[in-house]
Amino acid sequence: MTASNLMTEGLNLMLVGMGFVFVFLTLLVIITTFMSKIITSYEKNVGVLPEEGIPAPTAVISQAMSAKQHANDDKNLITILSAAVHKFRSRHK
Amino acid sequence: MDKLIHLWEATGIHQITPGQGVMILIGMLLLYLAIKKNFEPLLLVPIGFGGVLANIPGAGLAEAGGILHIFYTVGIESGAFPLIIFMGVGAMTDFGPLLANPKTLFLGAAAQFGIFATLMGAVVLSYYGIFDFSLSDAAAIGIIGGADGPTSIYVASKLAPDLLGAIAVASYSYMALVPLIQPPIMRALTSESERKIKMVQQRHVSQREKIVFPLLLLILVAFLLPDAAPLLGMFCFGNLMKECAVVDRLSNTTQNSLINTVTIFLGLAVGSKLSADKFLDLQTLGILVLGMGAFAIGTACGVLMAKILNKLIKEPINPLIGSAGVSAVPMAARVSNKMGLESDPHNFLLMHAMGPNVAGVIGSAVAAGILINYIGA
Repeated sequence: MTASNLMTEGLNLMLVGMGFVFVFLTLLVIITTFMSKIITSYEKNVGVLPEEGIPAPTAVISQAMSAKQHANDDKNLITILSAAVHKFRSRHK
Repeated sequence: MDKLIHLWEATGIHQITPGQGVMILIGMLLLYLAIKKNFEPLLLVPIGFGGVLANIPGAGLAEAGGILHIFYTVGIESGAFPLIIFMGVGAMTDFGPLLANPKTLFLGAAAQFGIFATLMGAVVLSYYGIFDFSLSDAAAIGIIGGADGPTSIYVASKLAPDLLGAIAVASYSYMALVPLIQPPIMRALTSESERKIKMVQQRHVSQREKIVFPLLLLILVAFLLPDAAPLLGMFCFGNLMKECAVVDRLSNTTQNSLINTVTIFLGLAVGSKLSADKFLDLQTLGILVLGMGAFAIGTACGVLMAKILNKLIKEPINPLIGSAGVSAVPMAARVSNKMGLESDPHNFLLMHAMGPNVAGVIGSAVAAGILINYIGA
C-alpha cells in the first residue's frame, strides 16, 4: 500500500467507523427508550417481577412451624439431651 | 571436562542476550508497579511474571512447544480468553443506570472518537515515515483508546498479533492511570459552575427491562454488525445470566471462578508476547505515546459531547460524567464522582457516571467490530 493510499484508507475508516458507532448507539437509544415505555405500561397492569427472581421449586416442602411448635420441639430436645448426659455420667464414674 | 563445558553452556549466564536481560527487568518493573503501586494488579502480576518467564534464556517457554506458547495458541490466537473474560464482565455489569437514562449512550459513543483519532495519528506517523505501521497495526493501536483490556487483546490478536504485547501492556497500564490522566483534561474543559450541575435522581428500572435489554442489544448486533457479535454476544449472554436470576449458579461461576481462572492464563499468555525481539523496538514507544493520546482524546470528546447534550436537551447533564464514556469500568466513573465531589461535596455522580461507563463498553465493542470488518474485508 502506498503512503497516500494509506492516508485515504485511514481517513475513510475514521469517518465510516465513527459514523457507524453513532448510528448504532442512536438506534440503541431509540429502541431502549421504546422498550422501557412498553414494559412500564405493561407492568402497570401485571405488576413487577421480584428483584431476586422467581423462587425455584424445590423437592423439600418447607415446614412452616408455629412458635408454639418450636417451643415444644426445644422442650423435647432438652429432655432427651439431659437424659443422655445423665446416662453418660453414670457410666463414667 | 566436556561435561563441565556442556553444563556451562546450558546456564542462563552463558546464553543470556542483552535484550532478554532488559525484558526481564521490564517484567520486574511491571511486577513492582502491580504489587507496590497497585496498578491493575490482577492483570499486571500475571503479565509481568509471564514476561520474566518468556525471557529466561534457553528455557524457551514462549517458543513453540513451551507452556506459555501453548497458553497463547489455545487462548489468545483462538480469541477464546478475551471472549470468556467479556462474558464475565457482562455478568458483573448492571445496566440499570444506562436504562434509567439511555441518552448517556451518546457519551459512550463520543468517547470512541479517541480510537479513530489515534488510528489516524498512527497512519499520519507512517505517512511521514516516522514509524512503519500498516492500517491493521494502526487500528489495533487505536483500540487502546477504547480503554477496555479484553477488547484490545481481541482486536490485536486478530489484526496485529506482533504488537499484542505492547498493546496489552499499554492498555492495562493506562487503565490504571485513568485517575491521573483524566482529571486535568476534565478540569480544562469545564467551568466551575458546570461541574456543580446537579443531575435529577434516576428512576427505578424494573427487572423486566434489565432482562430484555441484553436480548435487544443482541438482536441489534445480529442485524447490523455481525463482526461485533463475538464480543457483544458473550457480553449479553453473561449479563442475561445475571439478570434473569434463574441461573445464579452459572452467573456466580462466570463472574468469579471462571473469570479469575481465565485471567491467570490470559495474563501469562500476554506476558509470553513480551519477548525482546518484538518488544524492544521503537514501535513500542510509538504505541505507548499513541495509546496515551487515545485516552486523552476519548476523555475530551466525552466531556465535550456532554456539554453539547446539555445545550440540546432540558434534563441537565453534568459534563464530568462524559469522561466516563471511555469504558475503564468502574475507574472512570469513580473519577467523575470524585471530581464532582471536589466542586460540590453533596453532588454524588457515581450512579450517573455508570451509565456512560457501560455505554463505553458497548461503544468500544462496536468500534472493534467495525475495525475488524473494515480491515478483514
